[in-house]
Amino acid sequence: MKAKIKLINVSLKGVHNYRLKDISLKIYNGERVALVGKSGAGKTSLISTANGIISPDNGEVIIEDFAIKSLSTKQKVKIGTLWQDHRLVEELNVNQNINSGALARHGSLWAIKNLISELDVEECLRLMRVVELSEELIFSRVSELSGGQRQRVAIARLLRQRPEIIFADEPFSNLDPKLVELGLRILLNRDNSLDEIITAKTVLISLHRPELISLFDRVIAINKGEIVMDEKVKDIKEKDLESIYIE
Amino acid sequence: MRKLHITSPIIAIIPSIAILGVIAKLISTFHAGGSSLILDFAYSAITPSVDPLVIKAAINGLKLTLFTTSISWGLSSIIGLFLGILSSRIVSRATFGEEIISRVIRCLLCIPRSVHELIWGLLIIQLVGLSIWVSIIALVIPYSAINARVISDQIDNFDTKPLLAIRNSGATPLSALLTALLFKLIPTMVSYFGYRLECTFRGAVILGIFGMGGIGTELELTLKSLEFNEMWTSLWFLAALMFLIEALINKSSQELTVKELRYLAIFILPILLLIPILFSNENLVNFGTIGWHPIPFPSSQELKTAFYELPILNLISRTLILTVLSAGIAIGIPPLIMFLWPGKNGKRVQTIVWFFLRLIPPPLTALLIQLTTFPSIAVGALALGCHNVGILGRLLKESIKNDDSSNKYSILATGADARTVWLYGIFSKQSNRYLAYSAYRTDVLLRETSIVGLIGGTGLGWQIIESLSSFDWNQLIILVCIYSTLTIAGELISDKLRDHWLNDRTQWEFSLG
Repeated sequence: MKAKIKLINVSLKGVHNYRLKDISLKIYNGERVALVGKSGAGKTSLISTANGIISPDNGEVIIEDFAIKSLSTKQKVKIGTLWQDHRLVEELNVNQNINSGALARHGSLWAIKNLISELDVEECLRLMRVVELSEELIFSRVSELSGGQRQRVAIARLLRQRPEIIFADEPFSNLDPKLVELGLRILLNRDNSLDEIITAKTVLISLHRPELISLFDRVIAINKGEIVMDEKVKDIKEKDLESIYIE
Repeated sequence: MRKLHITSPIIAIIPSIAILGVIAKLISTFHAGGSSLILDFAYSAITPSVDPLVIKAAINGLKLTLFTTSISWGLSSIIGLFLGILSSRIVSRATFGEEIISRVIRCLLCIPRSVHELIWGLLIIQLVGLSIWVSIIALVIPYSAINARVISDQIDNFDTKPLLAIRNSGATPLSALLTALLFKLIPTMVSYFGYRLECTFRGAVILGIFGMGGIGTELELTLKSLEFNEMWTSLWFLAALMFLIEALINKSSQELTVKELRYLAIFILPILLLIPILFSNENLVNFGTIGWHPIPFPSSQELKTAFYELPILNLISRTLILTVLSAGIAIGIPPLIMFLWPGKNGKRVQTIVWFFLRLIPPPLTALLIQLTTFPSIAVGALALGCHNVGILGRLLKESIKNDDSSNKYSILATGADARTVWLYGIFSKQSNRYLAYSAYRTDVLLRETSIVGLIGGTGLGWQIIESLSSFDWNQLIILVCIYSTLTIAGELISDKLRDHWLNDRTQWEFSLG
């Protein structure tokens, strides 16, 4: 089976030591992978390297047989990322922010139209219903929204992008359990009820709460920039997981 | 070992000591010959000439200045915005993947920015002859570069994470930049370009004083012929227009909503660009013909000779002394006066004083001071310092007005007197920002030394005029290069100081042994 995401001997230097050290891994099409580890273990570095935000000092990241650095701007539409800090454009409203996920499929004129008019409102409302965000908020500025509402906008923007691969960096820290459950239901789409909306089948999500891993197919644990465990969820014992979080 | 901790509110006031040295020097060179003229000048403020011919001349002068201002401002805003976006590190990285293009453009823009518009004007006159375009080009060259730098700095200070997130989702650079940055940039642009309108207007007035037409020329001619009543007619018209411009700028930067600001940004430029078209139909503006008289290119030996002929160190040291003294007055006096007279009446009087200090251009102040004294560095320092007291005084007043009053009330509740409340409850919160802006202002003052240097007979500005008058191009090239290097160095130092103050360094420590 062909790997959807491949990291080959990836290393990333930090100020004093390696943030990632000689990491090699393959994630296959349709796999839902949880990335776990303590704070500072290298989860964010791994996600940011895998999605192409950071270039590794050594090694290579391959997405569907292509080196990530050789992917054209248009091809990057396949890769969606959900950020811990949402990275929404504060000056824009919910409608405009959700539409910003679709910029890769449209030209610059569309981008300008999105800034001055109400564009693709129906599509945005449909996604807002999926993420359970009140439709009344569609023209509210995102800077006026609560943390939970902003997270829903960020998920809706990701869905608007229609990526084939989803990376998410601790997307559920500091959120209430209901929103965590909703987020995971949408991103993992385990029951295939959102097939029309979720095109991505391959998912890599970093988590700081190990109790959520049962929803995934596979768990990769990382410590001091190195992979210390890579197992199917069903093969993982509780004490293996505990050892990751203990010095 | 005991340590002396000087906090930023005091650091902001200390430079006012410079005024003591300046006044001492002026007293030592004082002569009573021009005292009656000074009184005459003051009295003329309430008895300006109402002769229709004088009024017409003042209005025509003002129109010409407004014409120059609006074209120069419009062009420098558009060019500055374009170059600012190109020289932004973020834009360069998002578009080309590296910063090299932005770095090259930034380096190149240092040169036009470092030379004052007056020197550009005097150089351009030599090249193309006298025409309305001289003032316009002289203002557009440095102001575009200044605008570019401020715009690129603003963009580079934005949070880039949303931009990177959008870029990473596959959006083209243009779409991503428009979506992530445009609406962030518009309020900054409206506010900053509003401020630049005021600067361009002042610049156009100063160029007029040096013979390039407009209200400045009217002021200079009436002052030199000692027709103070006529001078005040022009000054009152100038005051009315300045008041209007300042009120508009205040309105646009404070009371408008973000949505209104966007519309203002979209419509204000075309409207202001219409002014020249309206005025150009009145036969008021003489576009003249543009000639081309290139300066002969010197050999390295000629440059070397010119370099050794000039008293370089003396000129540089005098320019620096002029800068330090005028900066001391400009930075230290406003907080000192506000501290000494913090009540409501004090505020009213200060507002009027700041306005009049801003109104009279420094070269005219220098000429007025010289009615009772002889040309010296002190004359230039006082003229430049006073004008900038007006600018910094208004800035500090506005900044205090926009701040919340929580600290003020907490100090007031301790039973402290009005001065202590002002120092601890109001100014202490503002002082770091004030010092950061003052660092920038010092950098501007270094450039402005040229305009009073010409009149005060000192420094590089004066020598540039001397070399220009004697058509000594070799000296001129050397002097402009030195001036440019000096202002670039000043800019680097002021950047460091600004960072220092904005990073909340509220104290300077000194060991007392």
